[in-house]
Amino acid sequence: MSRLRRIRAETSAGWRSFVRRRTAVFFTFFFPVILIVIFGALVRTDPTGEGLFTEPPAYYVPAYLAVVVLFTPLSRMGSEVARHREGNRFEKLATTPVTRGEWLLAQTLVNAVIIGLASVLILALVVVLTGAEIAFSPWLVPYILVGVVCFCGIGAMLGSYTDSQDGAIAASNAIGLPLLFLSETFISLEQLPGWFEPLVNVSPLTYFARGVRAATFPEAGTADVAGLEPAVANFAILAVLAVIAFGLGARSIPRTD
Amino acid sequence: MEAEAVVEATDLEKAYGETVALSGASLSVAGGEVFALIGPNGAGKTTLVRALTGTTDPDSGSARVLGDAPAAIDRDRLGVLPQEFSPPDRLSARELLSYYAGLYDDPRDPDAVLADVGLADTGDTWYEDLSGGQQRRVCVGSTLVNDPDVLFLDEPTTGIDPAGRRTVWRLIEDLAAGGTTVVLTTHDMAEAERLADRVGLLADGSLVARGTPDELVRDHGGSSRLTVETAADLDAFADLEFPVGRPERGRLQGRTSESAVVVRDIAPAEIGTVVDYLEDRGLEYTGLSWAEPDLEDVYLALADRTELERTDSGGGEAADEAGADDITHAGETA
Repeated sequence: MSRLRRIRAETSAGWRSFVRRRTAVFFTFFFPVILIVIFGALVRTDPTGEGLFTEPPAYYVPAYLAVVVLFTPLSRMGSEVARHREGNRFEKLATTPVTRGEWLLAQTLVNAVIIGLASVLILALVVVLTGAEIAFSPWLVPYILVGVVCFCGIGAMLGSYTDSQDGAIAASNAIGLPLLFLSETFISLEQLPGWFEPLVNVSPLTYFARGVRAATFPEAGTADVAGLEPAVANFAILAVLAVIAFGLGARSIPRTD
Repeated sequence: MEAEAVVEATDLEKAYGETVALSGASLSVAGGEVFALIGPNGAGKTTLVRALTGTTDPDSGSARVLGDAPAAIDRDRLGVLPQEFSPPDRLSARELLSYYAGLYDDPRDPDAVLADVGLADTGDTWYEDLSGGQQRRVCVGSTLVNDPDVLFLDEPTTGIDPAGRRTVWRLIEDLAAGGTTVVLTTHDMAEAERLADRVGLLADGSLVARGTPDELVRDHGGSSRLTVETAADLDAFADLEFPVGRPERGRLQGRTSESAVVVRDIAPAEIGTVVDYLEDRGLEYTGLSWAEPDLEDVYLALADRTELERTDSGGGEAADEAGADDITHAGETA
């Protein structure tokens, strides 16, 4: 009960702090919306033609979701950790019963709610604006949750190893942007040089994209992994990576100076 | 028999690269005692507090709080206010205290804590909208939500107005009266003198003096002080041979205005003699004030001595400059 109480207190404070920053709330939701408008409605996909966006609209659903599942935790966690460090909040928390894992879990829950809401908005806009025909699979929920856990862990590491909020945000952009485009999200593996495949395979976002695509757009023909259905197998891989990232992220949070 | 130590440090050493923060710092604080750490900026006060609370790992030496190593302290019994602490700023004062209270098993009522720090009427105001002093009082409140047995306060009243400071002082006095052990750092000598059972002066990472405020004043504070303020040229006072007391010479002291002469070792009844002496020589003065030595004198004497020793070993320029001035001009610090 003590642990639950501490996590509840942290989550409640984190949620209130977020919703009271109107600019942050606005841009958290506006960023994916503008991407959908640009890529889905203005550029449009062209399943029969040439260029980058040659797949049907439903193919890109994991990419639009990845915008929030990847970027929001990276930038929010990075800057939150940096803000906590700069305000000596970790020094204070280190002298209370709350653990680093509990703190990160609470922040992850806040991110999960934000990203869950943003994902609903994204799915609705993708269907309305691009005419994507997607399957609303229950797999979406665990994929988004585990994706958030994974990238919150990585975001915590970014915040811990950079020396300022600005540095954390710059690092999250520098890491997030390549990951977003090179993890079988907007650009398929066939469109990349062959030597790039190992890099694609080490990106956690790749397994998110493959799994979500398998669940929401079965026609994409996502490959099985070791004889397992792609939605199950990619989820398992993503979950393992999420546990590792969360553990390392929690461990990276400063306890001492 | 000496009371059992609740906070103990033995030969703590800590360096950040080339910078030595702690150099063999040792102290012992008994249960229910208020111990004030004073010392110049960079003396190692914050590092010592961090070493005692487990938020920094000393390079060597040992520390124990409530019988445990800092990393193993029962955190339900500990309250810590870090220096320059900045909690989430878009929470109200009440929400902030509720948040920190939520981290403990058996917390106090946040409204009662708000009342303790004198902010009962501003509980619904966001932290960022509070004044600097009110913010610091909320931060002090955040250390009290778990009713700690040991309290570490790193400059608790920085930025707080005099009335708010007295509220915090009364609060600390009440806590100490109730058996809470308090270790605080401060640059406010009046705060240390009022609150502390014992004071430790930290300089260059070591405790160079410790004792009750009275003991420190007796041993290191020097003698009584008559300050003669003047609008005239201080050179006119340079060669005076006062009939009583002794003009303070040598090292410069940073006490009051920039145009004052300090006469030491003078009894209150002898002030009239000095007045007559000045008037006989046509020397105009704008004010006279007499004071017993206090903790600030101790601080200045010991901190200056440490500074002198440091600069002497580095070439002694400061000592030479001080020695070149044959009369102490208050306000002109070396």
